[in-house]
Amino acid sequence: MNWLTRLLSNRTDTATLDVALRDAIANWEALAAPDLGTAHFETRYVVINTEASGLDLDKDRLLAVAAIAIDREHLSPHDSYYAPLEPDAATALTNLLTFAGKGPVVVFNASFNRSLLERALDEHLRLTPDWTWLDLHWILPALYDEHIDRPARLGDWMKAFGIETFQRHHALGDAWAIAQLMLAAQARARTLGLNTPRSLADLEHSRRQLRRHG
Amino acid sequence: MPAAASEMLVGASSDFLTRFSPFNRMEPEALGFLAERATLAFHSRGSEILTPEMGQPTHFHIVQRGKVQARQLGPTSVTDYAAMTLGPGECFPIGAISAQRPSTNAYVAVEDSFVFQLPAEDFLKLMQMSPVFHVFCTQYIASLLNQSRQQLQSTFAQRAAEQQTMTTPLGQLVKKEPIFVAPDSSIRAALEKMSEMRIGCMVIADAEHKPIGILTQSDLLPRVVLPGIDLQRPICDVMTATPHVMSASDSAYDAALEMATHGVRHLLVVDSEGRLKGVVSERDLFTLQRIGLRQVRSSIEGADDLEALQRASRDIRQLALNLIAQGIGAEQLTQFISALNDALTCRIIDLARARHELYGIDYAWLAFGSEGRHEQTLSSDQDNGIIYVCPEGADQDALKNRLLACAKEVNENLAACGFPLCKGNIMASNPELCLTLEEWKGRFGDWIREPDPQALLNATIFFDYRVLCGNERLGDQLRAWLNRTAKAYSNFLRLMASNALQVAPPLGRIRDFVVEEDGTIDLKKSGARLFVDVARILALRADVASSSTVQRLRQAGTRMGMPAEEIAALIDGFHFIQLLRLRSQHLDTEHDAPGDNRINPDALNELDRRILKEAFRQARKLQLRLKLDYQL
Repeated sequence: MNWLTRLLSNRTDTATLDVALRDAIANWEALAAPDLGTAHFETRYVVINTEASGLDLDKDRLLAVAAIAIDREHLSPHDSYYAPLEPDAATALTNLLTFAGKGPVVVFNASFNRSLLERALDEHLRLTPDWTWLDLHWILPALYDEHIDRPARLGDWMKAFGIETFQRHHALGDAWAIAQLMLAAQARARTLGLNTPRSLADLEHSRRQLRRHG
Repeated sequence: MPAAASEMLVGASSDFLTRFSPFNRMEPEALGFLAERATLAFHSRGSEILTPEMGQPTHFHIVQRGKVQARQLGPTSVTDYAAMTLGPGECFPIGAISAQRPSTNAYVAVEDSFVFQLPAEDFLKLMQMSPVFHVFCTQYIASLLNQSRQQLQSTFAQRAAEQQTMTTPLGQLVKKEPIFVAPDSSIRAALEKMSEMRIGCMVIADAEHKPIGILTQSDLLPRVVLPGIDLQRPICDVMTATPHVMSASDSAYDAALEMATHGVRHLLVVDSEGRLKGVVSERDLFTLQRIGLRQVRSSIEGADDLEALQRASRDIRQLALNLIAQGIGAEQLTQFISALNDALTCRIIDLARARHELYGIDYAWLAFGSEGRHEQTLSSDQDNGIIYVCPEGADQDALKNRLLACAKEVNENLAACGFPLCKGNIMASNPELCLTLEEWKGRFGDWIREPDPQALLNATIFFDYRVLCGNERLGDQLRAWLNRTAKAYSNFLRLMASNALQVAPPLGRIRDFVVEEDGTIDLKKSGARLFVDVARILALRADVASSSTVQRLRQAGTRMGMPAEEIAALIDGFHFIQLLRLRSQHLDTEHDAPGDNRINPDALNELDRRILKEAFRQARKLQLRLKLDYQL
């Protein structure tokens, strides 16, 4: 089963969705886009992480989603979300949208997480969020080059900061570690004068450019 | 199911907390409450998490990862040493948050740190909810009280140590070889020896050096002079037999008691076999007793002639040496030397003023150089000057001559009290250095506008002035003008900076230290001065009024946004070098060699060597900063 056939066979029509879910999606869509010029200590970032059946985008499926907010540079266990896609993927994803709002969204390794998640959202809810995605995979080595000066794996960064989590390779377990890395990233960014989500996005952008041309 | 997620994360927090006391003993509901309410924050290395200035703490913090240092602030200077580092599982501020008052400590992340925080009201709830936590906090507060009591004790111990000389064993007090004569020596021979050796008594000892009698000056009149005794008669005829003898291991206090009990002024000190080791006089013991900080101070203030001041000056040195021996820190020590020297100088000026008609003259006595910076060591020359106001219509020459005559007496008396005259004639009695406010401004202004090498050198001495006595406002006015002017001439500061960078810290690439030919390092030239010179430039730039290097670094550094931790490290480095200088001068003084600033790093112990290396690294860091600022 390739991604196309899976896409065709599983595709739901949003009209068939539950009323409550449709309302929730409408509410989410009505949310204003976030101001990317606010300072970290005024911003709610949402760290999103996924859990898949494997690492192959073509073959593997999204199994669970997790999200943890970093609100005003604080990580609170209450401001978090986790849901497996079984049995009800549409509800799991709609609740994720409600939790995350309009972002900005933080991930570790967007090329995998973002693709997987966007595909699932399209498949189940027929929408693609216009989130600003921030990828720590690129941002961390730009901020903490004394630890690792090139894109590295999550495990390496956890080791560099001595970060532990309760369960590796679990959507929420890894999200907990990623969120801690985001706390560190914000603090370092602030000392470098990168005070806003936009400046982090710019930093990531220039890193990707450099990598491409370098 | 959002609940599932937060349950997992709360579980992660409580799993972490249960690795540490008191959380591992805490009731499950209380632990759950804590883990649920605690949020996690990150603090970059060097950032302040909580300081007294932040007022009543809004949160209770638990270190998750990293290191946080608690530094006690405030006027109690002993506490600079009471810095405490908190690691994972340790929490703060318990006392301040329980008492709902501002913290007395500053908490600074010394590493990149993750720290949980709990709102203050939840902390109080937790105390109510959990008997275990309540006991923990109460005990902690009690232990704080205990610590502060211990600190008080150690302060008292220090004060007691000032007096401790009274517990010195007599064996240590008698340093000179014992002087004595045989019982059959003639009275004349004994008296001649007393006169020659300038001693107040003569001991008569047998062939085994065991004392059998004593003859003191006060015995001479009734026993020798008035009876008209023949001076050729043997001394044993007039001596006091069976003199009071004390063991070398008895204390000075024992001796004082013995003298008081028996009304004698001299005691003979003998070794364990009864042989004479020396004589202790009442005067020796008084000297000991007088050497306490307060006693020195009051003896300075009460001194009304040069001789008394000289005694006080010797006491200052002796006390400084005692304090070094007791391991007091460099900051307190230099402050203390500086305070007592100031008191002494002021007293000398007061006494001179009484003999010179200075009534109505508005002036201030200035100290320059190391004295100006409060950094005098035990072998500093005097560097001083006068700033005065010449009222309109007054005869300036006559007025200045009066000041100069008084200053000359002060300079000479200072020299008599152990502050050597300045070879470069940087003294208030030099007409060039007894100037009005306008003249000083002109002098300083010339150096700033035309910074030739001599001008730059002058700036390093004179810009460190401070008012030692007299009208302080004159000094303040000059300082305000100086800071304004120096800042306006950026080329001057740039040249000062390039001058300051000419000597690099003696750190080697291969060996630890770069030493001079004789294997030593000059701690003044290539140590302390590196800090002093940069601090002066920073102070001029950041408009800091203080002349002390530590204050300059602290205040200018803060104004320029240097992290507090970095500033503290610089200051520690500077203090350590100063301490080594004082220590080596102390040793030299004991060996009767002139005190200088050289040390042989190989002669230091491993710990001191490592700290010294770190101190030089701090100097390098400070220089690097200057280099970057001025692109040199």
